[in-house]
Amino acid sequence: MTTPTSRSRPDGEVKLHGAALYGTDLDVPGMLWGALVPSPVAHGTIRSIDLSAARALPGVTAVGAEDLDRLLPFGARDEERPLFPRGEVIYHHQPLAAVAAPTLAEAVRAAREVRVAVDPLPIVSDLESVFPEWPGSGAANSPHVAAHVHARHGDVEGEFSRADRVVQEVYRTASVHQVALEPHACLAEVQDGRWYVRTSTQTPFGVREDLAVLLGVPESSIVVRGTWVGGGFGGKGAPLLEPYALLLARASGRPVRLALGYREEFQLGRTTLPAVVRMETAVTGGRIRARRVRLLLDVGTSLPGRDFATGYSIGFLLGPYATATFEIEGYAVRTNKPPFGPHRAPLAPQCAFVVESHLDHVARESGEDPEEFRARHIWTEGDTTPLGQTVGPFGLGAALERARETAKRWRREAPPGHGVGVGVGFWSTSTGAGGEVRLRLTASEVVIEQGEREIGSGSVLVGLPAVAARSLGVPRERVRVDYSDTSTAPFDSGVFGSRTVGAMGRAIEEASLQLLAVLGKRLAGGAPATLREADGRLLAASGGHEAPVADLLTPEERTTGGMVAGGRHFGPPGTLDEHRVVDGTFYAYRDFTGAAHVAEVSVDRETGSVRVERYAAFHDIGVVIDPAAARAQVEGGVAMGLGTALTEEAIWSDAGELENAGLKDYRIPTLGEVPPVEVDFLEGFPGAGPFGAKGLGEPPMIPVPAAVALAVREACGAHATELPLSAERVARALKLL
Amino acid sequence: MTRTPSRLQVNGRAVELPGLPDEERLLDTLRWRLGMKGTKEGCRSGACGACTVLVDGESTLSCLTLTREVEGRAVTTIEIGPEDPVVARVRSAFAVAGALQCGYCTPGFVMSLAGLLRERGAAASREELLEALGGNLCRCTGYASILRAVDRLRSEGP
Repeated sequence: MTTPTSRSRPDGEVKLHGAALYGTDLDVPGMLWGALVPSPVAHGTIRSIDLSAARALPGVTAVGAEDLDRLLPFGARDEERPLFPRGEVIYHHQPLAAVAAPTLAEAVRAAREVRVAVDPLPIVSDLESVFPEWPGSGAANSPHVAAHVHARHGDVEGEFSRADRVVQEVYRTASVHQVALEPHACLAEVQDGRWYVRTSTQTPFGVREDLAVLLGVPESSIVVRGTWVGGGFGGKGAPLLEPYALLLARASGRPVRLALGYREEFQLGRTTLPAVVRMETAVTGGRIRARRVRLLLDVGTSLPGRDFATGYSIGFLLGPYATATFEIEGYAVRTNKPPFGPHRAPLAPQCAFVVESHLDHVARESGEDPEEFRARHIWTEGDTTPLGQTVGPFGLGAALERARETAKRWRREAPPGHGVGVGVGFWSTSTGAGGEVRLRLTASEVVIEQGEREIGSGSVLVGLPAVAARSLGVPRERVRVDYSDTSTAPFDSGVFGSRTVGAMGRAIEEASLQLLAVLGKRLAGGAPATLREADGRLLAASGGHEAPVADLLTPEERTTGGMVAGGRHFGPPGTLDEHRVVDGTFYAYRDFTGAAHVAEVSVDRETGSVRVERYAAFHDIGVVIDPAAARAQVEGGVAMGLGTALTEEAIWSDAGELENAGLKDYRIPTLGEVPPVEVDFLEGFPGAGPFGAKGLGEPPMIPVPAAVALAVREACGAHATELPLSAERVARALKLL
Repeated sequence: MTRTPSRLQVNGRAVELPGLPDEERLLDTLRWRLGMKGTKEGCRSGACGACTVLVDGESTLSCLTLTREVEGRAVTTIEIGPEDPVVARVRSAFAVAGALQCGYCTPGFVMSLAGLLRERGAAASREELLEALGGNLCRCTGYASILRAVDRLRSEGP
């Protein structure tokens, strides 16, 4: 008996039989097991790192900073990001050396034998301790500031001084971890001067590019092959373990497997770090006249100048509401924590929580109906964003209308003590991240040749075949996704930022049109062909003629595996009004998309614990490519958002140590804590993806903390200004009433 | 002192484990000694359920189980073939409901449900089935499609 395969999950068969091999499953004969030697403190001066005792153990290879020149042929490495620190350690568990041994137990023992002497230095752990009075003028030049962004437009001071009412608030959001169930893992080999690594990654080409810089070797000598990915959520983009595994492989001459234990996954994984936001809004005559927004973002030990986190995320604090006059300023603050990393919709859920909670509060303070007030200001197509970008087709207003109807009904039905909240959020498909795809047409199937791996969302294995099937007019069962490594696959930027179906899908559309045009010419010398399937064969028709594809292939194509067409995609970024930018880099959005969510909650007034009773999500999606996959994305994103809303918080001690590095203490939503989610999509606001599609990876998560927080406020009056809305925080807010 | 080699039944096949260290966990025996990677290593501390297998039909966290403790007993993993009708039924429900995304937690969910269904058969209530999944975490699906698979299992009967 074979398992019936759901059309919605072509990977069901392999995954339900335990046959899918992930990064953690990699294993080849003769392989060594690697382990990292972690820094014992979050900040300190290295006195010595002595590898000799570890090296004396049988079968052990150890590498440290002193070995890099010997192991790396060109020496042109990234001086700003040394693989091993030389003078100073800057975060707890920072890798100081790496070892490999025939078994994991021996590798762990060898890592412990490395004698590390570090003199501790004072550390910065708490973001707010850096600028106790909030950054003043000149703070941008502080050594603690990794990036500074500042923009303004209009007569900000005038609007504030003339306003009927000014509302000021401070919000704080916690550090959250991606918690993919598969920890980071890879397997490296160095042979014939080439650096091979198999790894669980969202971006094989991104890993190649970064490895080339980190190791100082040409990209052409690095070959990255992806494995099945046991969850990414942004955490498996940039390389983490790959350079160390490659160094160990080079030093030992053997394949080396390097994987994080789950505790290390929390400690070394690239988390999203805490943020503090100050919001000020001026209201006159029921309208928002001006806003002043300031962000302090903990970026850990991210590099100076790498201000994408700040410059991109901060924009989410300005939308999706019309604000002609504004001032916004953001500081990326360095602390002794690991580098900041993306986490499904980097900071957008936190920003939406801040914006929605604040404007709800502003409306209440101004005697306005909070939902009406927000709806009155929401962006619609043709509006200009604060940074001077024009909003394209945008279904957020329509989604909000649906959400408000649902909220109205739920409020009528809700028992006493329950509260209903409506939250919105917006997103934009990753700007300017391009890529290529090759399509291969044979007598009986279409093969999508590319280098990305399925990370779970279905974007690669469900979305791409759906686009190819629709573009070519063939059944989806006749489309197969092939994975190559970076030495043979066409370049693509990666599976992130809700870009895969939009960007790669457009490349597939382009390649499909080429195939149909060629078939049409060969058939009748005329119009592009249409395809259909009969008895397992593909047939092409054009101008009243029809023939099997097999008969239309040239002799060359028949002997080289079919007819090949390539498509490429580059989404040019939108443009900002640079006159509004005072300092730093802001990023334009592309393909505005949004969602409005409704949460119904009950709150235990004694303990402050919040239970989400039901939930509804309305999404502007452009066009639905695959209904089951789209729905699944929203259901999963909502659950992840509930974690950020209610329980998830990586707690860093004053010593810069992660205190809850495990799933028992860092709690993600369990089956009993996620309510049923009603999902619906609003089509008719097309994006730049195939057939007008917009991305759906991040958006489902974005409005969740906002919707939950507003429902909590309605249920019990508690106005929470910190995420997560843990029982303790809600109880504290209740006491303030 | 020589000990007789440890033995296990794994998916109906007798395996000998010569030189098995006392402290080896069942998860590691399956994955690294027997090369059966279908059982996934997640948190390795009993908090995620990804490593769930059946021992004599009962769902068990293989990361917290010493192989020596289960010597001579029958271990069933996600790699079991169609000869196990209960696992096949759960698989089928998951496939039809599309109850998986990245798939890393999937073996654990399937084995947890299979354990409960073996024990309770057609009498298993929805509440019991959900309780059986209380120790399994999933980060991708939000559990919704998994609940649809559970409902499919109940509506289809044994």
